[in-house]
Amino acid sequence: MQARADVIAGVGLKDKPRKSRWPARMDLAQSVTGLLLGLFMWGHMFFVSSILLGKDAMWTVTKMFEGYFLFGRPYPVLVSFVVAAVIALFVLHALLALRKFPANYRQYRAFSAHRRLIRHGDTTLWWVQFMTGFALFFLASPHLFQMLVHPGLIGPFESADRVWSGGWWPLYLVLLFAVELHGGIGLYRLAVKWGWLQGADADASRRRLAVAKWTLTAFFLVLGLATLAAYMKIGYEHRDRAGERYVPARVQPAPVGGGGQ
Amino acid sequence: MANGTHRKLRLHVMRYNPRVPGDAPRLQTYELEEADGMTLFIALTEIREKQDPSLQFDFVCRAGICGSCAMVIDGRPGLACRTLTKNLGEEITLAPLPFFELIGDLSVNTGKWMRAMSERLEAWVHMRAGELDLTRIEERMDPALAERIYELDRCIECGCCVAACGTARMREDFVGAVGLNKIARFRLDPRDARTDADYYEVVGDDAGVFGCMSLLACHDVCPKNLPLATQIAFVRRKMAREGLG
Amino acid sequence: MKIVYTDVLVIGGGLAGLRVAIGAKRRGHDVVILSLVPAKRSHSKAAQGGMQASLGNVIKGQGDNEDVHFEDTVRGSDWGADQEVVRMFVNTAPKAVRELAAWGVPWSRVRPGDREVIINGQKVTITEREEAAGLIAQRDFGGTKKWRTCYVSDGTGHAMITAVGDQAIADRIPVHERTEAIALIHDAGRCYGAIVRDLVTGELRAYVAKATAICSGGAGRLYRVTTNAVICEGIPTAIALETGIAALGNMEAIQFHPTGIFPAGILVTEGCRGDGGLLKDADGHRFMPDYEPEKKELASRDVVSRRMEEHIAKGKGVKSRFGEHLWLDITLLGEKHIRNNLREVYEICHYFLGVDPVREWIPVRPAQHYTMGGVRTDHTGESPTLKGLFAAGEAACWDMHGFNRLGGNSVAETVVAGMIVGEFIADFCDRAENAVNIPTRLVQEILAAEQAKLDALVGGRGTEDAAALKVRMQEIMTAKVGIFRDGPVLEQAVAELEQLLVRSRNIGLRCKGGGANPELATAYRVQKMLKLALCVAYGAYTRTESRGAHFRQDFPRRNDAEWLRRTLATWKSGSDTLPTLAYEPLDVARMELPPGWRGYGAKDYIDHPATAARAAEVEAVRRRMAGADRFAVQQALMPFAHLLPARLRGRNERIDERF
Ligand SMILES: Cc1cc2nc3c(=O)[nH]c(=O)nc-3n(C[C@H](O)[C@H](O)[C@H](O)COP(=O)(O)OP(=O)(O)OC[C@H]3O[C@@H](n4cnc5c(N)ncnc54)[C@H](O)[C@@H]3O)c2cc1C
Ligand code: HEM
Repeated sequence: MQARADVIAGVGLKDKPRKSRWPARMDLAQSVTGLLLGLFMWGHMFFVSSILLGKDAMWTVTKMFEGYFLFGRPYPVLVSFVVAAVIALFVLHALLALRKFPANYRQYRAFSAHRRLIRHGDTTLWWVQFMTGFALFFLASPHLFQMLVHPGLIGPFESADRVWSGGWWPLYLVLLFAVELHGGIGLYRLAVKWGWLQGADADASRRRLAVAKWTLTAFFLVLGLATLAAYMKIGYEHRDRAGERYVPARVQPAPVGGGGQ
Repeated sequence: MANGTHRKLRLHVMRYNPRVPGDAPRLQTYELEEADGMTLFIALTEIREKQDPSLQFDFVCRAGICGSCAMVIDGRPGLACRTLTKNLGEEITLAPLPFFELIGDLSVNTGKWMRAMSERLEAWVHMRAGELDLTRIEERMDPALAERIYELDRCIECGCCVAACGTARMREDFVGAVGLNKIARFRLDPRDARTDADYYEVVGDDAGVFGCMSLLACHDVCPKNLPLATQIAFVRRKMAREGLG
Repeated sequence: MKIVYTDVLVIGGGLAGLRVAIGAKRRGHDVVILSLVPAKRSHSKAAQGGMQASLGNVIKGQGDNEDVHFEDTVRGSDWGADQEVVRMFVNTAPKAVRELAAWGVPWSRVRPGDREVIINGQKVTITEREEAAGLIAQRDFGGTKKWRTCYVSDGTGHAMITAVGDQAIADRIPVHERTEAIALIHDAGRCYGAIVRDLVTGELRAYVAKATAICSGGAGRLYRVTTNAVICEGIPTAIALETGIAALGNMEAIQFHPTGIFPAGILVTEGCRGDGGLLKDADGHRFMPDYEPEKKELASRDVVSRRMEEHIAKGKGVKSRFGEHLWLDITLLGEKHIRNNLREVYEICHYFLGVDPVREWIPVRPAQHYTMGGVRTDHTGESPTLKGLFAAGEAACWDMHGFNRLGGNSVAETVVAGMIVGEFIADFCDRAENAVNIPTRLVQEILAAEQAKLDALVGGRGTEDAAALKVRMQEIMTAKVGIFRDGPVLEQAVAELEQLLVRSRNIGLRCKGGGANPELATAYRVQKMLKLALCVAYGAYTRTESRGAHFRQDFPRRNDAEWLRRTLATWKSGSDTLPTLAYEPLDVARMELPPGWRGYGAKDYIDHPATAARAAEVEAVRRRMAGADRFAVQQALMPFAHLLPARLRGRNERIDERF
């Protein structure tokens, strides 16, 4: 006796046009760009916060990026390259993120009503991510543009003057919160989305991840606020001589090239 | 709970029959006295028997295994039959599952959606070609594997995961955790002859696994505690690899 | 008015209905399934414990085969079963399990090596064989000599209906969900389909088919306390009765399950006892060995349920606000076993009782569980009186359960009957003479008549409350037609039910709206359910003996001399208040296993005059053929293979029995 087994996999699939591979690539690209941006932001925060260790420390970090210690003289254009790369990531990431944005007001309403009703942590976090992502669009762009075109104007006085005398500090303040929230949530989401760091008990791992995420966010916010305060203080004290470049005492005699007076 | 000290419950039930012209959604309040061990099944049945014979809702097994009675209980999707009123406040709000076609009041057509989802994902074991001889000893399977398959097979298609899903709220063609879990289940099953390329055909897009925004409300509301978070991540990894290859 | 035409109309999307439909569809016939609910939510889903099939893979099942399964089933039925049908069943059950395995059911599998089990309250180490590694495992269930119950953790029915439902989708079989058959279309002794109400819109449609199969499950909701789902109301069984032509068999044979959780009636599986759980009384005493020293907690269900009620009657029950109950103690199985193998039980206790079964005892009391009776069919699943009407599963009286079905034999019956009856339905549809030739006019008349009945309910000036009538009926059934039955009480029950039936003809609705109108559904259903209730009560009253689950205190003995007969109930006229009962004798002279003692329960019975002669004959054949292979002996005693569809006749391979 026999039973028919006439439902067989893949029949006809070979002849059918296969489904596009782009959704997979775009999903990966979104994660990769997010991850790189996220990691970059952490690094960025550490470099910027070198100001807390003193102006010289910050100057050293800046010059290091300009290749000063490698070539003996600074090449701010190197910074421009990095900025350009970040902009590329940023734009790509933002474009990819657009796929996930509510496509119209109806969807926006539906999601936001849903979020309010269900009162669910990770759902709310996505909303925060969406909002902050949207904000980053406007907040990060001027900053990135600035860095792209004036890569040489990074330094203890230069940056501090921009923050204080240039009046950028409110933007940085909001940007700080937006980036840290967005990046922190984003990295947490990356982990659950791809199943990273998921131990034997996945629920416990997720709880640990959430704790780690909030800890990191808190850490970077504190660090960021302190850093911003430091620049504001320096900028305030330096307000009368705004525009003056910083030259550390130990390199005073050396000629200062590049950037122009 | 001591005798005689029963609470007075107020159930605010979303009423709307889309088939009655001119009917509009409204909350209707029913009062009743709580009893020991009262579930929402008992409460709603009593309301229909004693107060309002027109109230529509679905109960079948009343034992938490068939998935018929999913509804939104105080904002969260859950199975009404196994929700004890003593775990809720005195004011209880009940609404039908969103997203699914509304039949009336608390009754929604999850069955229709699930069938369409199953057809779309071809959610059945695709046997290898050839004759199946039923007189022969069955094929062997590792006991642990059988248990892992059952673990995912426990889905009752109640619709809570889809109702809780923020992605589905914006993408009506999203397959939901229920669908992705099924793919994970069949992929695990050596009796299913499909390959990742075949699975990619059904979930390799933004209506499938790449649409998922990992909000994980599905995982958090699943009445069967299915490991949805890990399974969706798993399917995503496999499909991403397939997409790169 | 809408008419839907199809080859096969299957009423019911449970395991039986789905499997029948797949069978007919794969033979090339168009099939439509009707179901009150999405198919996978049918009550088959609730089966936790398992499915019997004599695979004999586990060590405690070694030596199991069709013969042992056959004997267990016939004994379990208290000789009420049709033995030929039992043979067809036991021969097909292993094939059914194996087919389901290929369709994706994740059966629990054998792990070779030592493992600890609880047998009879003791920890015992058993060693599974290396040859059995990875084959389908079996567990112990009540009333069986060998461990035979195949299972999927404790979600067997769930896993089965998921796999079978998926195959039905793969085969593109349409399931018309949320529809209800409320009358059969028949003319001149031939059934042509059903009148169906759409439960969403309230609209009536006619479904016209060559073959109509009733696969609508049990009618547990005739009772107040039942393990059955709220949709198990037996309406299709009732509409078969209402034809006046089709007969219902053995409706008085109702099974009570020992362990319904108290007071909700939700079932905790027999697997609890099979795996070693114990029943205890108010004093914490394990009482079953006092009554059944041999099988103890694992005697057949009717016996255990009765002993429990007997023990409660002796004052040993635990008193509570809602009445008395006993305890089920599974704490000795250990947390790991309970959380893994009995997870569903764990969840039920947790969610519905707030009890942790790892540490606490579970309050239980017997509850209505299974309807052995149903639409009487022959071995092909067709009604002998109404041509073109088939039945399978719990709704049918195919009659493999007689007066008591064994745990695990029911889901097995659904798929086995589905495989067999599906083939016979396909054969039926293949025959040219069975083409549909009912005039459309007639269909429309029948449809209009049903519509008129509903309109009368909605628009009428009746005064009776449908929900109240239903509750009253359920209370009467639980109180008076329960585990212990007694002539005068039954007489009273019949009289009261008759009154309710009369009153049900005067129902008035509070909710006059069209559309779904759940109150209207309650109204027409209660009218039909009362007829079924009367078949049960009246059949129980008339059967003056005790057999299987039917226990009469005033006639405590099984009486083969007078009652080795199947009750057949018909409902001759719409104005009747009682069914017409007739009896179909079981032929002792053809039985492979002549009536005797079951091996548990009372030893006291009255023999049929032909029993001794047949027993001697069987004995002689066995002696003459000593040494011959078991198939030859069986063939000599009661040939059955010719009754099976050709493709299901083969022998079943086992690790200890290869061909
Ligand atoms: C709690 C519980 C546990 C059980 N455990 C076991 C076990 O471990 N092992 C075992 O062997 N057996 C067990 N049983 C018994 C077994 O589950 C059932 O007997 C069997 O599943 C019945 O299957 P079925 O297909 O005949 O009916 P069901 O699965 O009940 O399906 C009936 C179908 O008919 C449909 N229907 C009903 N009325 C109508 C109508 N008027 N119009 C259209 N459609 C209609 C329903 O929608 C449903 O789809 C258990 C039963 C219960 C209640
Ligand atoms: C214009 C600016 C930006 C916009 C509009 C934006 C928007 C978004 C959105 C909507 C998501 C969610 C995508 C999803 O749910 O799958 C997301 C994810 C993410 N974002 Fe951004 N983002 C921006 C900038 C940044 C920056 C600067 C960082 C770095 C700190 C960052 C890091 C991430 C990470 C790590 C993720 C998770 C990626 C994933 O889920 O695959 N984003 N972004």
